[in-house]
Amino acid sequence: MNPILTFIVVLIGFYGLATSKNIIKSVFCVTIIESGIILLFLNLGNFQGGGIPILNGEADAIVDPLPQALMITTIVIGSTVTALSLMLCIKLFHRYGSIEWAQILRREDVE
Amino acid sequence: MMEHAPILFILIPVITAIIIYVLRSRWSHYLAFFAQIIVTVLAVIYYVDIAPHFVSGVIYFIGDWDVIGIPLMNDRLSAVLVSLTIFVWWMVLIYKFRPKEAEPTFLFFLLFLEGVFLGLLQTSDLFNLFVFMELTTIIVTILVAFKKMGSSIRAGVYYLLLNTAGVLMFLIGVVLLYYTFGTINMLEIRNGMEGLAPGHTVVGLAYVLMMAGISVKAALFPVFAWLPRAHGVAQSAVSALLSGLIVKGGIYLFIRLNGMFSPADFDYMDFFFFVGLATALTGSLFAMMQKNIKVLLAYSTLTQVGLIIIGLVSLDDYSAGLLHVVHHALFKGLLFFAAGIIVSVYRTKDITKISGLMRSMPIVSIFMIIGMLAITGAPFMNGYISKALITDALYDDPLRYYAVFLVNIGSAAAFVKLSMIFFGPKTLSYPHKNYAQIVPLAVISLACFVFGIFHESLGEILFGFDVSAVDPFTFTALATYIVTIAFGFLLYHHLIRPDRKGVRRLRRFTVTFETANYLFVIYVAVLTGFFLLL
Amino acid sequence: MISVNRILKNALKLTVLLSALGFLFVFFVISMVDLSDLYSDDGMRYFFEHGYAETGAKNLVTAILLDYRLFDSLFEAGILLVAVSGVIWISKHDLEEKNVPFMIDKHKTPDLFVTFARLVYPLLLVFGFYIIINGHLSPGGGFQGGALAATAILILYYIDTDKETNVNFIVTSEKLLYLAIIAVTSVSLITRGVLFTNFMPIDASADWKAIYLVILNLLIGLKVALGLWTIFTAFLREGR
Repeated sequence: MNPILTFIVVLIGFYGLATSKNIIKSVFCVTIIESGIILLFLNLGNFQGGGIPILNGEADAIVDPLPQALMITTIVIGSTVTALSLMLCIKLFHRYGSIEWAQILRREDVE
Repeated sequence: MMEHAPILFILIPVITAIIIYVLRSRWSHYLAFFAQIIVTVLAVIYYVDIAPHFVSGVIYFIGDWDVIGIPLMNDRLSAVLVSLTIFVWWMVLIYKFRPKEAEPTFLFFLLFLEGVFLGLLQTSDLFNLFVFMELTTIIVTILVAFKKMGSSIRAGVYYLLLNTAGVLMFLIGVVLLYYTFGTINMLEIRNGMEGLAPGHTVVGLAYVLMMAGISVKAALFPVFAWLPRAHGVAQSAVSALLSGLIVKGGIYLFIRLNGMFSPADFDYMDFFFFVGLATALTGSLFAMMQKNIKVLLAYSTLTQVGLIIIGLVSLDDYSAGLLHVVHHALFKGLLFFAAGIIVSVYRTKDITKISGLMRSMPIVSIFMIIGMLAITGAPFMNGYISKALITDALYDDPLRYYAVFLVNIGSAAAFVKLSMIFFGPKTLSYPHKNYAQIVPLAVISLACFVFGIFHESLGEILFGFDVSAVDPFTFTALATYIVTIAFGFLLYHHLIRPDRKGVRRLRRFTVTFETANYLFVIYVAVLTGFFLLL
Repeated sequence: MISVNRILKNALKLTVLLSALGFLFVFFVISMVDLSDLYSDDGMRYFFEHGYAETGAKNLVTAILLDYRLFDSLFEAGILLVAVSGVIWISKHDLEEKNVPFMIDKHKTPDLFVTFARLVYPLLLVFGFYIIINGHLSPGGGFQGGALAATAILILYYIDTDKETNVNFIVTSEKLLYLAIIAVTSVSLITRGVLFTNFMPIDASADWKAIYLVILNLLIGLKVALGLWTIFTAFLREGR
């Protein structure tokens, strides 16, 4: 059940990307998609249950550690993409005075 | 020591980039040249060394972890593209060379991108591929937005968000594959797929999602909207790099992924022929309408990418498409470099305002003519060889053959329009002082000739396939070319030159960001329907 | 102007979009059912059996990040590096700008917040370093601890709104730390003949191997903290 719910989160993110008229909303939709994918990857790892992937001698079966490591990387990547795109949005606001896609894309070359 | 060469290809540019950024000296450019020399020497030694193993590929596991580590693979395809990458980066470094000053920040991003891209071309691990794809996206965004003008920044944001959405779609496919096969090593997954019965939905859905992500990166129809923006506003050296090489990264991944999924036997050839054709027709149509020289060249890239995809799916091996990848990188780089010089001298990007190029800069004009002959496929040029390979592959199906013929006519019309800048009275221009910029033009023009005339021997040695079926020294070759150019000229003269209202409307046509994502979702749904239902 | 035509067009686009997404959802559910038959846990088995012996880390996630897939982590740190440089480059004010709303800096933080921040800041910093150093024995590691340490430093900005930072120094030291990370991971070329892994021989005891893990975690944690600090400073400068 959990993986299906996380996939719905991803789909909501794509719906948002396809309909948002505001740049900041688009940036957050990308964040939502990325969070959904992270949750999806981690949830599928829990298929057969098990303990945390730290060997304290407690559990005899563990959750898969590889997805967890990969998702740490993904979180870092996602946060840097968000930071970079938000900085670009700030600059766009300074240049065009607006953060709506329609206004920004329609203007001819403004220096 | 030599077996560590794959990692050194990646590390040397990256470490040099960081040193350049930290030191910020006036000699940064010389340091970059030095690093580039080391990489070139290493590449030559390494590839000559492993040449006997080109068919199966040489695998290097990082950290010596056999099955669960990250492998770097070098086979013929990687070798060709790595060599092309090193060559194009040489051209860009020479083009940007100024004897007295250096731009450390620009060189930092440029060299870092070289290391990352060389990594992307060699890695054989799906998540590592994701990391390299995201890294390429970020650095390219920064390079596109480097001039910090309004148009550069909006192109950068558009590129970043759309490409990240595509790469994230790719990542979902990786997730599905990992839990099906227990590994993210591309070779192991291929082995696992051979043991699996065909028709599993998981594998099909993974294929669809990954192909959708790759299509965004390779700028296929309908998710190409970022390409004319990004390639049209970046500075010429960056545009040459993007159009020549980075977009080909997406095509390389297309080849690799289809290779990985080959045991599952998806019938992708027909579907992607139409995608390629749609891409080529769109590029062709819009290239004719443009007045901005760089946007025109960007749409021309789109056309050629479409032709490359058509070439890749029409034959059993990837020979036709791959040759055009190499040749297109050469002449598109040449055209963008020449465009950069023209724009800096005439201080405008509008081709209706530029004229008299033959008189003001005859040398640049000659090189640019060579580039235009190459891209339209004149005999004796490399463009003819690769285009003829692609069209010959379609000879059995007349409908497809004439569709590609139509694409070539449109492309010819666009370049006829561009060639109008050679004639006419000489308009106001500033003198051109930077002679280093002519060197890449000369080198690439020479390469175009060499590849065009000695195609048989070169094809055998470098690519290992047989291009002897194509012969540029025949009368039919010349006749076909002249007919194409003639039709192109007629098209330009009657439809484009009067600059009617339709042409002006099409020139201003843009795809908004929401529409681009909307098309992306529809594209994924269509892919799912096609591959999972039929 | 709102016309019936436009409403119908928008409704049509919305329906097509929702049906496309629903279509994907259906296929995803089918593939989930498919996956439950095919699910393979080969990867998990290997790490469970060999992870501790080969890498010296009880935390298998750290084992993967710093040994098996060290190459990935290197370029993850590299992404931070490039993004920091990119953000700084883009935020530099070179040209004239209109529409810049200068945020009034009289935005005073409440005294209660300042007092508690002064209390929490050292605890948070120590906790961050604990997470960094203990990454191989308990949940944590360089990246996570670095983010915590960065948060601790950022609290200082709320306490002292006029704080001046020498951004160039931080950026330079971040890049030098990255070169140090590459150097530490390359030592294994000399000791074991293999690049990018632990520099202790493979049959050394887990305690010896942990030395490498702690060093690497420290370097990565410091680097991540400096990088995040720089990004935040760049954003703050935009608002002034």
